[in-house]
Amino acid sequence: MFSDAYIIMKKELKRLFTDRRTVFFMVVLPLVMLPVMYTVMGKISQSRSADIRSYHGTVFIAPEMQKQSPIYEEFISIINSQMNVTINEIPEAYIPTAKELIKEKEAQLLITFPENIDFAFDAIQPFDIHVFYNGASDYSSYFYRRTYDAVNSLADTLIYLRLESLNIPTEILTPVTANRTISPELVNLAKKGSEVGKVFGVLLPFIIILYLFVSSMQVGIDTVSGEKERGTLAILLVNQVDRASIILGKLLAVVCASFASAISSVVGLMIAGRYFLKDLFRSSAEMSDFILGADQILQLAILLIPVAILLVSLVLICATYARNSKEAAGLVMPLYMVVLILSIGTSSMGETVPTWMHYTPIINTVVGLKSVFIKSSSWGNVIIAAVTSLIFSGLLIFFMIRMFKNEKILFRI
Amino acid sequence: MIEILDLKKVFENKKKGTVSYKEALKGISFMCKPGEIFGLLGPNGAGKTTTLRCISTLIKPTSGTITVNGFDSLKDDRKVRSVIGFLTSDMKLDGFFTPDYMMDYFGRLNKMSPEDIAERKEVLIKELHMEEFRNKKIDKLSTGMKQKTSIAISLIHNPDVIIFDEPTNGLDVVTAKNVTDFLKKYAREGKTVLISTHIMGVAEQICDKIGILIEGLIKELGSLDEIVKRNKTNNLEDVFFKYLEVQDV
Repeated sequence: MFSDAYIIMKKELKRLFTDRRTVFFMVVLPLVMLPVMYTVMGKISQSRSADIRSYHGTVFIAPEMQKQSPIYEEFISIINSQMNVTINEIPEAYIPTAKELIKEKEAQLLITFPENIDFAFDAIQPFDIHVFYNGASDYSSYFYRRTYDAVNSLADTLIYLRLESLNIPTEILTPVTANRTISPELVNLAKKGSEVGKVFGVLLPFIIILYLFVSSMQVGIDTVSGEKERGTLAILLVNQVDRASIILGKLLAVVCASFASAISSVVGLMIAGRYFLKDLFRSSAEMSDFILGADQILQLAILLIPVAILLVSLVLICATYARNSKEAAGLVMPLYMVVLILSIGTSSMGETVPTWMHYTPIINTVVGLKSVFIKSSSWGNVIIAAVTSLIFSGLLIFFMIRMFKNEKILFRI
Repeated sequence: MIEILDLKKVFENKKKGTVSYKEALKGISFMCKPGEIFGLLGPNGAGKTTTLRCISTLIKPTSGTITVNGFDSLKDDRKVRSVIGFLTSDMKLDGFFTPDYMMDYFGRLNKMSPEDIAERKEVLIKELHMEEFRNKKIDKLSTGMKQKTSIAISLIHNPDVIIFDEPTNGLDVVTAKNVTDFLKKYAREGKTVLISTHIMGVAEQICDKIGILIEGLIKELGSLDEIVKRNKTNNLEDVFFKYLEVQDV
């Protein structure tokens, strides 16, 4: 049986990997597309941030009669030190026009002060500064956040001034601090590479499962339903080949092809890593820190091979039942959605998951992959995930062979 | 040798919650001996392809027995497939490969050694005049070339029993002649040849024995002369239309 399956697998692989278009879409595209996509996204994000930071904005401050106030002067000096803006002091009557200009994105901010802020300060009465901005404008939102920080700085300054005037030492405000006397690098005790692993632990498991499933769909549907549709399957059925061998040969070929696609997407993602780590996730971690050991690579293989067989079996069972490729794609699509939701949902979960998740196929692989990437995997859970995937695959393959022997299914019109 | 006894095939059709049954074969019996070409003649939908598909083990009979070279089609389906070379118009070849590669592929699946495959391949390529296109992609070949390739593939393991469904369908005169000559040669070599056709000329020219199959029943069985004499007609076409007219009435 295995020798026939091997012959069929070789032929299927030859068909797939000598077709330039298939190789391009399955292997080359993910390898090139992910780095290009993340480079472009990273560069766009970086240049947008730089653009916002360097933008020269227009800020209105009202009413203009605050000019002589020391508190006001302090606030203006904080604003000028933190933001690249032109400050326009306006009378109260001009406030509606200023708001209109902000709405139209022609100005970015309006700050209004209550009357007599110096008196309020002296009388130890709190006063409220109003900051108006346009949430639909990146520049206005940026200046709003910076002004918020400036108001907090002003509050700190005023508290210190009050304490000084009362001859109270300013240290009274900070009885305790955190990590002020130690370097930030020394307080982070994460294992080398585990921070990168944390980012990859969210991204990679579902991307791998996704690529395995999508490429299984691309190849698997054509390998069975496509052959049924084109009439190229019948010639195989009248030869001395056992139907189980046909299934096994096709399954192994699709597993190899989907693996090639998944590996190329992972390599693509690794190449893209430096861009999304720094530019998108603003992480200080380095890709060079992310080196998996032999144990982890072995665990990845033990997790991925059974789940690839399981996903391919799911696709092929639909392809076997379907009359043609179109019907097969219709049958596979709901499964794809389920696998996608399970993978994304599980990837986003924390490090500790309920016990049942370790026994549920696909979910346990995602959990296992995540734990491998963040370097906290256990052999027990990895083996449980692999065994459950293999048990389910075995059941699906059994049903698939039964379907292949059933003429009502194989020759459905 | 093919022996068919009381073969029945009923197809079940489920549509919108209702089940209907179509009796494609209503109990047919015939025998096809080594060295002879047996022609199953009938109009479209008579049950010719169903009969050949049952013999080739592609589908299972509802009842009755099929024995091919002593092997029962249900109990020894794999052994049956090992002694037959089956070709039907439903079967297409993967256009991505060349005839040469496909012959190698099916040779290996038929448990042949690489030496035997190489030797057999050369014989078939010569007999079917495939030298010019043996290394061209099947997608690029003409209908006749594709049919020759299909024939070569189905006979790569040099089977004792050849079952061809409409072997000359859609072929030009020269290729059709090439195919019929090829079948006659194989019959002369002592192989059992069973073909289905709806073309009277083919049946008259090459078949030693003919079975007229109409609506799942064999209406006539015997040599061309026997059938014509029994029906007191001049040729096979008259016999054939006699039955079709009865059916129409």
